[in-house]
Amino acid sequence: MSEILLQMRNVTKRFPGVVALKNVNLELHQQEILGICGENGAGKSTLMKVLSGSYGASEYEGELLIHGTPVRFTDVHDAQAQGIEMVYQEMNMMLDASIAENLFVGNLPQRRGFVDYKKLYADSAKLLAQVHLELDPRMPVRPLNSGQMQLLSLMRAVAKKPKILVLDEPTTALTDQEVDVLMEILAQLRQSGVSCLYISHKLEELYRICDRALVLRDGQTINSYPISQVSRKQLIEDMVGRKVENMYPKETHPLGREVLRVEHLTVPHPNIQGKNIIEDITFSLREGEILGIGGLVGAGRSEALGAIFGQYTHGVCKQVFRDGKPVRIDSPRDAIENGIGFITEERKRNGIIWMLSIRENMAVANLKKLSRRIFMLPRLEKKQVSEQMDVLRVKAPSMETKLVQLSGGNQQKVILGKWLMSCPQILFVDEPTKGIDVGTKADFYQIMSDLTKQGVSIVMVSSDMPELIAMSDRVLVFAGGRITAELHRDRDEITDTAIMAAAIQS
Amino acid sequence: MKKLNKGVSALASKPEMGVVLPLIILLAVIGCVNSNFFAPANLIDILRSTSYTFIIAAPLTLLMISGGMDLSIAAATALGCVVCAWGIADFHIGIIPSVLLALAAGAVVGLIKAFLVVKLDLPAFIITLGLTKIINSFILVTTDGIAVSNLNNNAFKQLGQGKLGSVYWTIIIAAVIGICMHILLRSTRFGREVAACGGNRETAKLAGINVARVRFTVEILVSVFAALCGVCMCSRFYSGQPAAGSGTELTIMASVIIGGTSMMGGTGSILGSFLGCLLLAVINNGLVLMRVSTNWQNMIFGIILVISLFIDKYRRSKTGGGL
Repeated sequence: MSEILLQMRNVTKRFPGVVALKNVNLELHQQEILGICGENGAGKSTLMKVLSGSYGASEYEGELLIHGTPVRFTDVHDAQAQGIEMVYQEMNMMLDASIAENLFVGNLPQRRGFVDYKKLYADSAKLLAQVHLELDPRMPVRPLNSGQMQLLSLMRAVAKKPKILVLDEPTTALTDQEVDVLMEILAQLRQSGVSCLYISHKLEELYRICDRALVLRDGQTINSYPISQVSRKQLIEDMVGRKVENMYPKETHPLGREVLRVEHLTVPHPNIQGKNIIEDITFSLREGEILGIGGLVGAGRSEALGAIFGQYTHGVCKQVFRDGKPVRIDSPRDAIENGIGFITEERKRNGIIWMLSIRENMAVANLKKLSRRIFMLPRLEKKQVSEQMDVLRVKAPSMETKLVQLSGGNQQKVILGKWLMSCPQILFVDEPTKGIDVGTKADFYQIMSDLTKQGVSIVMVSSDMPELIAMSDRVLVFAGGRITAELHRDRDEITDTAIMAAAIQS
Repeated sequence: MKKLNKGVSALASKPEMGVVLPLIILLAVIGCVNSNFFAPANLIDILRSTSYTFIIAAPLTLLMISGGMDLSIAAATALGCVVCAWGIADFHIGIIPSVLLALAAGAVVGLIKAFLVVKLDLPAFIITLGLTKIINSFILVTTDGIAVSNLNNNAFKQLGQGKLGSVYWTIIIAAVIGICMHILLRSTRFGREVAACGGNRETAKLAGINVARVRFTVEILVSVFAALCGVCMCSRFYSGQPAAGSGTELTIMASVIIGGTSMMGGTGSILGSFLGCLLLAVINNGLVLMRVSTNWQNMIFGIILVISLFIDKYRRSKTGGGL
């Protein structure tokens, strides 16, 4: 086997209250593509931030060695000086600068103190030809689609002639042909002596391009092996296999009639034009049921909920039936009037109003209920808010406390309170416990259980596998815009491996 | 001592505090230097000039709380002033129809502005700057820059020059508007919707609030009241002045900000905006009484604007307001 290029030894990274990486070990050989796999939150991105210098050497424990020599990075520049380049999942392009300027940002070719545009455009054209993009390097980046941009950000890293290239889910925005191009480039790079770290959920890709695979789970190195010697089943088990602690107070009870049916839901992709992220799906929800929705990040689960709720309407096709009757939902207002509530994934972006108080935040979805004609009813408002604060055990000095002063868990409780005040019959929850401490998590599950007992139905999108398995009566798995599995609790079908297997089908 | 501290921090948590302190200091200084300052007639004069800016600042507070801004208020004032004069002097349609015509002109400005800013989602700063230029130029073209006089309607003088007892009608009008806006903001559903839109537009939409309708309403409201201010000026000057209110857009916005309304939207108060307008009037008046050149006026106002933002930042750090 070829020489070892990079070693990461016993890397431990702590965040306040959480250990994100525990004694992780990684070896990368010369001319090798190492696949890094694991569930969402297994520590892959954190590990790559350690490698890329985003976390300086003083912020974690452990050692980095390149060619056997220990190195200490204080920032990204140090890592780049050692030939480590990242291709990020999120595209960070200067949209109105030219393709060439984007490709060579930070190392524009110069001649006598001025930018050498002739060389810049010639070099850019060469890079574009390598990825089969027939584009003028002088044109701005804005009109390009996300797949083209993703290839550009790859070539931007390649242009710096790295020794180690790190790719984080590089294919999420790519079409099949573009994936082929990517694979071709990676194979060429390997040939020319570059090593790659390739983070992906997609097993197909790992088997296609990688030499070895490293599995992370809960911040620990679980296994590493040549990919040709490991079965898919083994790989999935290593990724998900963990014992589920009993923090889930799930009680099964007989389910009632159908309260919601969604037929032929089609949702356009938010970033890629002409592509649908959800393609003609149909499902139903029964009274008192928790319907879990599993799948990978980017499978369109949040978009599906948003489209049903009326958050997105552009290009959305759907037929919605409430209690068997067809209803029109063209805006969140319509959804609320039909007894639906929606706790979104991104609390900061569209959940809380940080400069307003708990009272004002909870009232915001219930203004009609808390007012007579045009005037608010302050006494009713205070009574209802304080009831919710008691039930949900919101920890705050008073209901006038601003949301910005609360912890993430308490903010999430306020959002929950806002929707509970509207007495919904159906609650959509999207990653309800993301970034929330364990204690509050347990509170949340208890509340969800209690709600279903009272006949409320819940649709829960979750990437937290134990939560999905423990709480759901039924799980739908989304992949490639479709429902690839429907798993029932009463048939004991809801398992890690069944969900994972369906999620990586494409 | 503890009690005092508690009292101080309770006071400090009020968003209007940024303006109260400078105002008190200023009143004390000017009052000491010139005893005429506290003469009733002088105080009425200060309130009179406050009323003109406050008629615009009160609805503007709502707009800024909803996350908006408007540079076209001064232009809408001039338009209201000139249109009202046309109604009375040129169209001979009488007082009330002329006033309504002027308000309608304001509403049209507001509608165009709302369409561009809310519906087409264009940046308010540039759009309202452009609208200002268009309206000002329209007025100059149609009036040749000459005031519309020969109103020949003495009854109309009452609005801007008349008094109830010793209080000018415009002060009463401004007070009524202020109280209505305060109630609208604090006690109605609409007020809550305005704050939610400015606090987090996405959250407001997901909570079932018709964000576009709320924003449309406040945009139009501001322009109509700016035109009303123009009507009052028309009566006060007894002519339609093409330059009525010109240059006041930024000072009125600054008065609102001094009064504790967040530039990012979400929070603010009508009382604070009143105090901001009052501060401006006190500075002007005080300088005249102290025989200081009015050229100093903007410098002092600017310094207080900067200081009030310091106080605001301190207040936020005390209440953990972030940003």
